[in-house]
Amino acid sequence: MTSPITSRRSFLGLAAASTLGAFGLAACGTSGPAQPGGAASATGGGGGGGTATMWGLTGKPGESIRESTVEAFNKLGKGTIEVTSFQNDPYKAKIRTAVGAGQAPTLIFGWGGGILKSYADAGQVDDLTSWIGETSGFKDKFLPSTWGAATFDKKIYAVPIQTTQPILMYYNKTLFEKAGAQLPATWDDVMNLVGVFNGQKVAPFSLGGQSKWTSMMWLEYLLDRVGGPEVFDAIFAKKADAWSDPAVIEACTKTQDLVKANGFIKGFSSIAADTNADQALLYTGKAAMMLHGSWVYGSMKSDNPNFVANSLEIGNFPSVSGGKGDPANIVGNPANYFSISAKASDTEKEVAKAYFTDGLFTDTEVQAWIDAGQVPVASSASSKLSGSADAKFLQLVFDLVSKAPNFQQSWDQALSPAQAEALLNNIDKLFLLESSPEQFASAMNATIGK
Amino acid sequence: MTTAVTSVPARTGGTRVKGRNNYLGGLFGWIWLAIIIVPIYYIVVTSLKDQGAYFTSNPLSLPIPPTMTAYQQVIEADIGLYFLNSVIVTVGTVIPVVLFGFIASYAIVRGNSRFLRFSRGMFLFGLAIPLQATIIPIYLIITRIHMYDTLGALVLPSIAFGVPLTVLILSTFLRDVPAELFESMRMDGCTEWQMAWRLAFPLTRPAIVTVSIYTGLNVWNGFLFPLILTQSPDKRVMPLALWAFQGEYSVNIPAVLAAVVLATVPILVLYVVGRRQLLSGLTAGFGK
Amino acid sequence: MAAITPVTQAVETTVGPTPGAAAPGAKTRLDILVLPALAFFIAFAFIPMIGVLLLSFTDWDGISPITFAGWESWAQVFTDPGTYHALWLTIALMIITWAVQTPISLLLGVFVAGHQRYRAALAVLYFLPLLLSSAAVAIAFKSLLDPNFGLAAGLHLPFLAQDWLGNPTLAQATVVFVIAWQFIPFHTLIYQGGVRQIPASMYEAAQIDGAGRVRQFFSITVPQLKYTIITSSTLMLVGALTYFDLIFVLTQGGPGDATRILALDMYITGFQANQMGAASVIALILVVFGLALTYGIQRLGGRDLSASQMEGM
Repeated sequence: MTSPITSRRSFLGLAAASTLGAFGLAACGTSGPAQPGGAASATGGGGGGGTATMWGLTGKPGESIRESTVEAFNKLGKGTIEVTSFQNDPYKAKIRTAVGAGQAPTLIFGWGGGILKSYADAGQVDDLTSWIGETSGFKDKFLPSTWGAATFDKKIYAVPIQTTQPILMYYNKTLFEKAGAQLPATWDDVMNLVGVFNGQKVAPFSLGGQSKWTSMMWLEYLLDRVGGPEVFDAIFAKKADAWSDPAVIEACTKTQDLVKANGFIKGFSSIAADTNADQALLYTGKAAMMLHGSWVYGSMKSDNPNFVANSLEIGNFPSVSGGKGDPANIVGNPANYFSISAKASDTEKEVAKAYFTDGLFTDTEVQAWIDAGQVPVASSASSKLSGSADAKFLQLVFDLVSKAPNFQQSWDQALSPAQAEALLNNIDKLFLLESSPEQFASAMNATIGK
Repeated sequence: MTTAVTSVPARTGGTRVKGRNNYLGGLFGWIWLAIIIVPIYYIVVTSLKDQGAYFTSNPLSLPIPPTMTAYQQVIEADIGLYFLNSVIVTVGTVIPVVLFGFIASYAIVRGNSRFLRFSRGMFLFGLAIPLQATIIPIYLIITRIHMYDTLGALVLPSIAFGVPLTVLILSTFLRDVPAELFESMRMDGCTEWQMAWRLAFPLTRPAIVTVSIYTGLNVWNGFLFPLILTQSPDKRVMPLALWAFQGEYSVNIPAVLAAVVLATVPILVLYVVGRRQLLSGLTAGFGK
Repeated sequence: MAAITPVTQAVETTVGPTPGAAAPGAKTRLDILVLPALAFFIAFAFIPMIGVLLLSFTDWDGISPITFAGWESWAQVFTDPGTYHALWLTIALMIITWAVQTPISLLLGVFVAGHQRYRAALAVLYFLPLLLSSAAVAIAFKSLLDPNFGLAAGLHLPFLAQDWLGNPTLAQATVVFVIAWQFIPFHTLIYQGGVRQIPASMYEAAQIDGAGRVRQFFSITVPQLKYTIITSSTLMLVGALTYFDLIFVLTQGGPGDATRILALDMYITGFQANQMGAASVIALILVVFGLALTYGIQRLGGRDLSASQMEGM
């Protein structure tokens, strides 16, 4: 075997080349979020300066609507926005590492509440109060109830976007007719239906339990119905032992009763909502009912328009007899929000603000949301609802939201990240029947103040 | 070493040991084969169906006719880019690991200074460090040197973690090179450097193949570093891309599995082409 | 030309100069050769180790500036029952995967080392799972095992349509199965190599003495494979500390915390609950564990490595 005569020079050359290669990758990879020139840029002539970046979620219809509004904005000549979309669950982790790395996008997508507050406390997002005050007519563009989740200490840190998303009950009408059953109005009706549907070999409720926040929706409603919004208010206010309120225990017990009665589809704890598998169970007739956000209407409409047109019924969460909560209360996401990253350059921030004033909630966008079966949080929306193909659904959502005495924000968004993570974990255990309501309460009490 | 080829393990009814055939062993072997093959068969077959057919048909049935819709969807979703990223990161890691590891091993075996002994100790210590445990500080370091969300961010720590085992295996191999060979070369006036490349390097070739393959496979399939250290879709490597596909295509299972197939085909090709090399390399380094 | 020596040997023997080692003048030059490797290692492996230690004394949340917090994070981690649960899970997983993989790999290795042609063909197929990345394997099994849309449901076999990934105990069993599925091929390969080196003469002698196949297996094959077993076991156990990729994609640590091994616990605490300080403490536990394990195994099996295995010839 002949050995290659590798001189020191050629070795060094090779080593240098490969290490340089490694750093070269760094160079070709340093196009961080703030890099100009991308596929989405426009013909904008002269004037409009820099480029801002925007992150959002994948999924229908939001992703495409967002992309169209950005495209339209880019043509205005006030700047260019580059949008990147991520899936829900990974997004929540990604945005955090990005913010921590100082590489957050200019426009940060979120749900307000505890996480936004943690950004604000860490000085990672801009205080928009004065800008909003100075920009006439801006605040009125949005539904008034949506500012709450973005305001802390009277300072506003984000702008409401997209749609209002109450959690609703979805029913497969065909399966109900087959079973000769009525839609449930009370919790007792629900428990009865469980028996009925199991007898028909159909799962009563579909549930994407692996995602955990889906299970959380059940507890949110039950707690509100049983004890009224004051119970969670106490928790949010960090009162000691707030989780031990009897209403909490009762809500947990009812939840476990439902699980024990086989109320949820088999295998629910390994079904992830991100893959829309839970929705598929409803429209393929494997489950009769589902508790989910209003956004899945649009997604189901595009995956299975036939089902949505002919077989879908919607309703509010049933009441609980003897419960203190108003049956008209709702739970969910009042809106989504865009914040401006404090670390963005001034040019980027200008572009972002221009987007707020000129790109957000144009008539085209509002109409697009309505056409997709969602209620945008724009004030201009209410007059447009009746003209839509989904008028019935949209009007129902709009009425629910505007008439609700209380709109409770999703707990995992309202609380701090550490509390939220513990909450989701403990709810998971509750649904798996691994912990009792009392154990749940004491585990959660331990997180107060984190 | 020469005896290795002719040995016959007791359990088989081989040419040497006459007797009945080992039916039990054979049965066991076939059962295991089924366990291996069924999932793989399921993956391939499903990737050739379209979503509607998948929901309604028997999962193990062959699609008639097979469709490439799933593959089309996946290819349109930029899978080529992710593949390229994986190649860049893998090659960018393996080459430095092998080169730096080799010269380090050579030095450790041939030299005897305190510094070299210290280095060796460090590498041994490094073997026991689980990669996952260091992820948070690495995230910190990478962001501070402004390399977050780059492919380089993946290469640098991968080199660091590939070095210990490489040095270990290569130095073990090198130690068995008879001293006389080095002596005679030194008599001829060769420098250490020349001896390293002319003598030691060719001799360690099987071990080099081993460490290249082992490191390469680990980097190619690495998931955690890309998960934490990159964020843009255009910096994704294959395992991360698969994970993203799984979500994007949701219940479009044929598409998800088509992505899995496409992700594996390149390695499969390498396997078919270089199997002997691969297997002998792997065994040489790890076998007794 | 070079003899093939066990990986473990390197750990035990001290570095001594081979006779006729480099001339003194070359010492500095040799020292330099080790620098690039050392530099990378220190920068991206060793310093992060120190970093983990330092971070464990903070309560960093990932986005605010880093502040000193004394033993707070330590207290949090050590008073959290979740930590002990994760530790226990990790140990159990290690032992169970070892107990499942080692006999199967050993037997398969022996089987495949046989000289029948069909066995070589089988060996080619056996290796396939290793070609897939852990993420790919997890994704494929996830859809395969879906109780509503997966293999069992499609085949209408209710027994197979269990809630594999949703029921805590089943999920644990499934994780063990998938890990074994992917990694047995690797260890089979190692054992195959080991078996191929056992001299035929030993078996011949045994056969002459009247020993049956089973007897030969236990008296010859297994003892001769001692170092192979150690190598394979070391790789298996140390690797088991960090089956992160596979479990992350397969179950995310769930259902509940049924599969939340230490590495996952660390990730979730750090990157989902945003408690980097606590996560660093968990990381340290991982490191200490890894160190103890590696050195422990070496101690256990490393005695007298240079003893000839050819005794009795």
